[in-house]
Amino acid sequence: MFRLQGSKVLAVDMTGDAVKAKNGSMVAYDGQMAFKKLSGGGEGLRGMVTRRLTGEQMTVMEVRGQGTCWFADRASEINLVSLQGDKLYVEAGNLLATDAGLRTGTTFTGLRGASQGNGLFTTTVEGHGQAAIVSDGPAVVLRVSPQYPLIVDPGAYVAHQGDLRQSFQSGVTFRTLLGEGGGEAFQIRFEGDGLVYVQPSERNTIAGDL
Amino acid sequence: MTFREINSKMVEATVAPGQRLFSQRGAMLAYRGDVSFTPNVQGGQGGLMSMIGRRVAGEATPLMTVEGSGTVFFGHGGHHVHVITLSGDTLHVEADRLLAFEGTLRQGTMFMGSQGGVMGMVRGQVTGQGLFTTTLQGHGSVAVMAHGGVFEIPVTPQRPVHVDPQAYVAHHGEVRNKLSTALGWRDMVGRGSGEAFQLELSGNGTVYVQASEEKL
Repeated sequence: MFRLQGSKVLAVDMTGDAVKAKNGSMVAYDGQMAFKKLSGGGEGLRGMVTRRLTGEQMTVMEVRGQGTCWFADRASEINLVSLQGDKLYVEAGNLLATDAGLRTGTTFTGLRGASQGNGLFTTTVEGHGQAAIVSDGPAVVLRVSPQYPLIVDPGAYVAHQGDLRQSFQSGVTFRTLLGEGGGEAFQIRFEGDGLVYVQPSERNTIAGDL
Repeated sequence: MTFREINSKMVEATVAPGQRLFSQRGAMLAYRGDVSFTPNVQGGQGGLMSMIGRRVAGEATPLMTVEGSGTVFFGHGGHHVHVITLSGDTLHVEADRLLAFEGTLRQGTMFMGSQGGVMGMVRGQVTGQGLFTTTLQGHGSVAVMAHGGVFEIPVTPQRPVHVDPQAYVAHHGEVRNKLSTALGWRDMVGRGSGEAFQLELSGNGTVYVQASEEKL
């Protein structure tokens, strides 16, 4: 149902079913479509409270209809992720669309979020179905296995899925404080079994200045 | 075809004696051979009347005439370039999205407000594109610019297409366009989905849509 048209446009064929998508990301549609605003952080009152607390505000709309709907976001590259009961962790700003059947929520990320300047919380997508995430430049998908942990620049991290533990590591030494740092003061370390999506571009992070 | 896509952001055009090209002024990146570039005081073709027409319409992106024999490379601002070939039909495109087009095409302006009555007028305001649009008619090819890649959606009488006004690039064929609103009371109290205005295209033709909601 989700297919890529080129690398920057997501086409979704619908037959009366629905998808959740980032607000305002529709570029065109044919057939009959209805757009309804939802909000992130899960459904109901609890979701609303979570959103208020976490600042992980993602404005989402539900698109329901019959026909094809095309989505794009500022010419960013789009990656399709398929979920079989596992959980995808993604920054709210990088989530473009999900099957309506997938549950979305927020989770605490600790220091990683702080170092990215994205807040302490991240969005989770869970269930069976497809999701589309955007990245600045084509993202690579790197596999993490128990023997091979992966270390990622917080500014290049986009999303991860699977059974992964993440920890924050810092290379801050007295040299960094003297202004002789290598420019890679903070990293995220992933261990376990899963996939990490990395983009060929670095967001501005607090850590990036160290 | 005169235009050849070199990569997603650059086209190569072949110029032969007796043929003319028009391009946006300053869009030449490089050339080979004996080619001359003359600023087009009239702002394209069509003489004084059409010049006044374009001034009034605000569709007066400065053009230049390219003549001679050789090859010219065009590109502008790192925008994506897309080549559209016309065989007798009319292309509607905003003047600032035109990178270059063959001299065999007739250029004109069209009042968009006449389509769809009052909503047509609103369309100009919403899209920020004004009430006039440039038309190119005849046989030949056109290079248009977009933010992000361009994709084509066929419009048939059975399948009208709705496009986000900010993502709309151009259209050709026998296509009517009107602005449709999905405004309900929810939008009034600030709970809109962000898709309140859409451009509805119906008839027979093709619409070109960019992978972004940013203007050039």
